[in-house]
Amino acid sequence: MSNSAIPSSTIRMEGVSVAEFSWEVRSPLDRALVAGRHGAHGDAGVSLTEIRNFDLVQVMARRGKTSEMAKVAKARFGVTAPVTPQTAPTADATLIWSGPDQFFVLSKGGKHTMVALGQAFASCASLSDQSHARVLISISGAKARTMLAKLSSIDLHPAVLGVGAAAATSMDHTSVTLWRGGDRGEQAVFNLLVFATFAESLWHTMLDSAAEYGVTIGHSGELT
Amino acid sequence: MMAAAQTHRLTSGGLVDRSAPLSFRFDGQTFSGFKGDTLASALVANGVKLVGRSFKYHRPRGILTAGSEEPNALVELRSGARREPNTKATTAELYEGLEAASQNRWPSLNFDVMSVNQLFAPIFVAGFYYKTFMWPAKFWEAIYEPAIRRAAGLGRAAVASDPDLYDKAWAHCDVVIAGSGPAGLAAALAAGRSGARVILCEEDFVPGGRLLADGGTIDGLPAAEWLARTLAELASLPDVRIMTRTTLFGVYDGGTYGAIERVNDHLPSPPEHEVRQRLWRIVAKRCVVAAGALERPIVFAGNDTPGVMMASAMRSYIGRYAATPAKRIALFTNNEDGWRTVETALGAGLQVAAVIDARAEISPAHRSLASKSGFPVLHGSVSSVDGGKAGVRTLSVSLTGGSRAEVEADGLAVSGGWNPTVGLTSYHRGRPKWRDDIAAFVPDGAPPGMVAAGAANGAFGLGACLREGFEAGAAAARDAGRSGSAGSMPVADDEAYSLTPLWHVAGKGKAFVDQQHDVTASDIELAQREGFESVEHLKRYTTLGMATDQGKTSNVAGLAIMAAVAGRSIPETGTTIYRPPYVPVAIGAFAGHHRDENFHATRLTPSHHWAAEQGAIFVDTGLWKRAQWYPRAGEKDWLESVTREVKAVRSGVGFCDVSTLGKIDVHGPDAGAFLDRVYINTFSNLAVGKARYGLMLREDGFVYDDGTTSRLAEDHYFLTTTTAKAGLVMQHLEFCRQVLFPELDVQLTSVSDQWAQFSIAGPKTRDLLKEIVDPAEDLSNEGFPFMGVREVSLRGGIKARLFRISFSGEMAFEISVPARHGEALVRNLMIAGAPFGVTPYGTETLGVMRIEKGHVAGPELSGTTTAADLGLGKMMSTKKDFIGRVMAGREALVAANRQVVVGIKPTDRARRLRSGAHIIPKGLTPGPDNDQGYITSVCFSPTLDQWIGLALVERGRERIGEIVHAHDPLRGEDYDVELCNPVFYDPDGGRQRG
Repeated sequence: MSNSAIPSSTIRMEGVSVAEFSWEVRSPLDRALVAGRHGAHGDAGVSLTEIRNFDLVQVMARRGKTSEMAKVAKARFGVTAPVTPQTAPTADATLIWSGPDQFFVLSKGGKHTMVALGQAFASCASLSDQSHARVLISISGAKARTMLAKLSSIDLHPAVLGVGAAAATSMDHTSVTLWRGGDRGEQAVFNLLVFATFAESLWHTMLDSAAEYGVTIGHSGELT
Repeated sequence: MMAAAQTHRLTSGGLVDRSAPLSFRFDGQTFSGFKGDTLASALVANGVKLVGRSFKYHRPRGILTAGSEEPNALVELRSGARREPNTKATTAELYEGLEAASQNRWPSLNFDVMSVNQLFAPIFVAGFYYKTFMWPAKFWEAIYEPAIRRAAGLGRAAVASDPDLYDKAWAHCDVVIAGSGPAGLAAALAAGRSGARVILCEEDFVPGGRLLADGGTIDGLPAAEWLARTLAELASLPDVRIMTRTTLFGVYDGGTYGAIERVNDHLPSPPEHEVRQRLWRIVAKRCVVAAGALERPIVFAGNDTPGVMMASAMRSYIGRYAATPAKRIALFTNNEDGWRTVETALGAGLQVAAVIDARAEISPAHRSLASKSGFPVLHGSVSSVDGGKAGVRTLSVSLTGGSRAEVEADGLAVSGGWNPTVGLTSYHRGRPKWRDDIAAFVPDGAPPGMVAAGAANGAFGLGACLREGFEAGAAAARDAGRSGSAGSMPVADDEAYSLTPLWHVAGKGKAFVDQQHDVTASDIELAQREGFESVEHLKRYTTLGMATDQGKTSNVAGLAIMAAVAGRSIPETGTTIYRPPYVPVAIGAFAGHHRDENFHATRLTPSHHWAAEQGAIFVDTGLWKRAQWYPRAGEKDWLESVTREVKAVRSGVGFCDVSTLGKIDVHGPDAGAFLDRVYINTFSNLAVGKARYGLMLREDGFVYDDGTTSRLAEDHYFLTTTTAKAGLVMQHLEFCRQVLFPELDVQLTSVSDQWAQFSIAGPKTRDLLKEIVDPAEDLSNEGFPFMGVREVSLRGGIKARLFRISFSGEMAFEISVPARHGEALVRNLMIAGAPFGVTPYGTETLGVMRIEKGHVAGPELSGTTTAADLGLGKMMSTKKDFIGRVMAGREALVAANRQVVVGIKPTDRARRLRSGAHIIPKGLTPGPDNDQGYITSVCFSPTLDQWIGLALVERGRERIGEIVHAHDPLRGEDYDVELCNPVFYDPDGGRQRG
C-alpha cells in the first residue's frame, strides 16, 4: 500500500448522505517531534531526523527457497541481499538484514511497494508490509555515538560497526533495527527503525539522552 | 562571615591550587580551602579534628584515611532534596559553597547528649540487640526499633525526591583497568601502545594513585614528571580512555563490569541537562585490577581518638594536599613503609615526637635519621591513647621487655601493613589466599579474563608495581588479539617493606576493630566465647564489616583477632564472601533514566492523541496506555460514564480502539497446517474470506491464549492474540516454527504496529459503515455474513480490512487501516457516525459488554484453566494433534469436580459484586476445606440494571440456579449469589448475526 498522502475527497452519490473524508497520514511522532534546537546551548552535538513516508517490506524466504530469493533480489536490485547483519544500498532502495533468510526493503517513491515486490518474489518468499509498523530515525552529529551508547548495548566503535553494518537489537528495552549509513562528511550516520507504537516513548528517551550535548531536531521526506 | 584562615596549610607544595580559594561550610561554620582539596583535606588544613560521632557509642571521631575506605569521617553533604548521608569527606571534592554537616550527634558535635551511651558501653556488646530486645516480640517494631534507630545510626536521607538526573551507558574495550596508580598506568601504557582499546577507571579526581602523595623516581624522572609524561602519551593514543571519578565496582558474567562515574558530584548541582552520576556497563575482553592496597590499622585502646590516622593518609594530607594533621606527630608502625611518613613530616617541618616500632630490627638508615632529627625510637607498641574530642594528647607505650613510656603528641600515624584490594578478583565467589611474607590475603585466581597486578596482587614496591602492571597490560592486549609493540617498560627501584605482623595490642579501654560499626576487639573475643566461631557468624553477630565501608579497614584485623583467640591461623579462620559493589552506589544510578513517567517504555495506540483530546481517562495495560472511558461534562464518576457508553452501543453504535491486540501474519503453503498444530481447533479448512475463533494451549494442557484468525489468501492467515500475550504468543509461534516444526513451510511476521484496528459495534453499525465504505460494497447479511472478512475501499481512496466479528454480542465489525491512517479513521468514524450518535468507548465498556455476553478474558485465561473449564471443551479437535492435547487429558485436568466458568448474580439486586470473593456452599463455614472457587470478573450491567459476574466454581455448570455464599475476607463482605448461565445477554446470538 502506498504511503503518499491522499488528498481529501468528496463523494456525492444520490440517496447517500454527503461526507468529506480526509485520509492524511500522520507519523506516530507527529506530536512529539518539535523541530528546532533542544537541550544544551552551543553547537548541537546530536542531530535527530525522522524520515517520513517510506515503504518498508519484510521479505522472508520460503522453505528451501533461500537461493531463489537471493537470485530474484539480485536481479531486481542489482546487489546481493545481505545474509549477515549488513545493509546493501542501491540507487532506489536499501536492503537491510533482519534475520536468517530474511531482509527488509526500504525505499521511497513507490517503486518497491508490497504490490510490486509481491509479484517479483511470488515464487520464493513471503512478504509483509511494515511501512506503517516502524518509525525511521536518523541520528548523526559529533556526539551521536556517545548518546547512542546510553541506549544501545552494542559496540558502536567505527572499527566494529562499520559503514553499512546492521544490528537487530534493542534500545531502552525496545526492539530496533540499527544500521550505519554512509558517513556525512567526517561524521557517522546511524539509522534506526523502531516499532511505531513504541516510537514516541523511545523518542523522549533519546531526547533526554541527547539533551546534554545539544540537539537539532527535524524531519525529512528523503532517505539518507 | 569571614572564612577562618587555613591554619594548617603549608605555604608551598602539594597539588592544591592556591590561586583558586573555595569557601565552604561545615556544621554552620565557614572555612576556606583550595581547588584540589577534598572536604577532609580542607578540614585538616583548617585544624578541624572532630568530624563525627560514632554509630553506637557516639564517640568523637576524626579522619582516619584519605580514601574511599574511610570509616569515620562521614558527613551529610548538601542540603534539602540533595542531602546525601554517609558521604565520605575523604573522597568528596571541595567546591565553592559546599555545605556539610556532621552526623549522629545532638544537639551539636561538641556537646552530644547521646555520648552518655559510652557510660553504658559495657552492656552494648556484641549481640546486645539480640539479647535485650527479645521480648515481647511485638515491642520490636513499635518501640525498640524506632528508639534504637534514633539513638544509633548515621546520616539522614533526604525526604524529598532527588531533583537530579542519572543515566546509564555502555562502553566496550579490549582491556579495562581498575586504578591509575603506577601499576594501572603501566598496564595502560603497554596495552595502549599494543593497539588495544583501553578504559582506565580511577575513582579519584586525579590519576596517579600513591604517586600523588609518595612520589618516587621512575625512569630517572621525579614521579610527578613521569606521571605528566605518561598521561600525555596515553592521551595521544586514540583508543585509550581515562575515566576519573569512576569506580569499577563489580564484575558480572561474560566480561561485563559495573562502574559508577561521579560526573558532577564535584559541583553544587549538575549543569542544566547534565547528570549527577552515570552507571557504566563496560564490556571488556580482559581486565587488569590495579586497585592497589589499603593500609591497615593496628587495634589498641583509644585507636579511634581524633588525630589517630593511617600513616599513608597522613602522607597524603601533607604531601598531596599540603595540609598538616598535627604539629607534633608520633608514628606507630610494624613495617618499613610506615617510616616514609616520618620523612614526609620532617620534610614539611613538623616535629616528630617518637617512632614506636614493634619490630625487633630497625634499619641503620632510620636510626641515623632519628638521631639526626632528634626523636626517640621506641621498641614496643602503643597500648593506649589519651585524648578526647580535641584530639590525641599522650600515648602510652608498652616497651619490648615490659616497661612503659609516655609520648606527648597531637597526632599519631599508624601503619599495620598493607592489604591488597582483593574485592574485584573475589566477586565470583573467589577466596583470596594468605601470604605469610606480607601477612596479607592476595588474589587466588580471578573471574575469567581478569588478573591483578601491583599492590592489588601483593607487589608493594614501586618497581614491582610498574613491572607487574606493564606485563599484565601487554598480556591483556595480546590476549585480546592486539599485536602492536608495548615498547619499553618503566623502571623504578623497590622500597623495603619488612613487616612483622601485629594486629592487636592488649590494654585498658575500648580498642576498635570496625570503627564505622563500633565493633571492638572484646566484641570479637565475646563472640568467639559464645560460639560464633565461623567468620560468617562472627560477621553477622558483631556486625563487623557490615557498615557502608564493608570493613575495608577492619575485616582482616577482625579475622586475625578471631584467629588468635580461637588458637587458629588466619588462613584457617578464612574470609567472608566478597560481594559487589566495591563502594556504595546510589539506587538512582541503577535506575538511571527509568523513573517516574520513564519507569518503563510506553506504547501508544494510533488514536491515542485523539482520545487525549477527547479527555479520555487512560489505563496502563502492560506497556500500553489505553482509553479506559471517555467522561463527559456532568458525569459524576466512571460508572456513570461507562453505563452511558454501554447503553449507547447497545442501542446505537460505538467504537473502540483494539489496535493493542497482537497481530501476526502467518504466511506460506503450510500456514494452515501450522495453525492446526498450535490451535485446539482446525484452521486448514477455513475458507478464504472467513474468520474463526481459536484457542491455543500450553504444552502442559492449560489454556494459553485466544483470538480470531482470518484467512486472507490460500497461503496467508492473519492471526490475533490478546493484548497481554501478544509478545509471548509471537515468541511461542516462532519457537514452534523454528524448533518444533521446521519441516513446515511457514513464515511469521508481527504486524501489530502496522494496523490501526477499531471495533465498531451496535445495531447502527451498518448505518455508520455505509457512510464511510465505498457504496459499491455490499454490507448486508448476505453480502457480508457473520465471521466474514475482506478488503474494502473507503470513500476518499484508501483500502481497509473489514472483519465481521463481535466481542460485545452486538452486530459489529472490526475495521483496520494502515496505522498512519489510524487517526484519520477515528476522526472519520466520528463524522460518519454523527447522525447516529456514535460513541467512542473505552476498555471498561469493552469489559462490561464481554461479561454481559459471557466471553472469557484475562481473569479467566489465568493459566490454571482448561478449555473445558472455560466451556470451550468441544472446540478440542479429536481428528488431529495439537500442542497440549496429550497433557490436557491428564486425570486432574479432566476431573469432574473442576472449577468451571459460570455466571453469578447477587440475590440482593442492589448489591455490588467484587472479584476475588470466594465461593462457599450455603451453610458451610468459609475456609479452605469448603472453598469451591472464586469470582473472576464483575461489572455493573446497564442492560440488566444490576451487578453481574463470572466465577470459576466447582461443577458450576451442573449447579445453575443454586444459591451459594460469596465470602470476601479482604473487604469484609459476605453475601449470597445465584449461579447462572454466563451468557447474560442475547444467549441465542441473534443480535451479532443480525
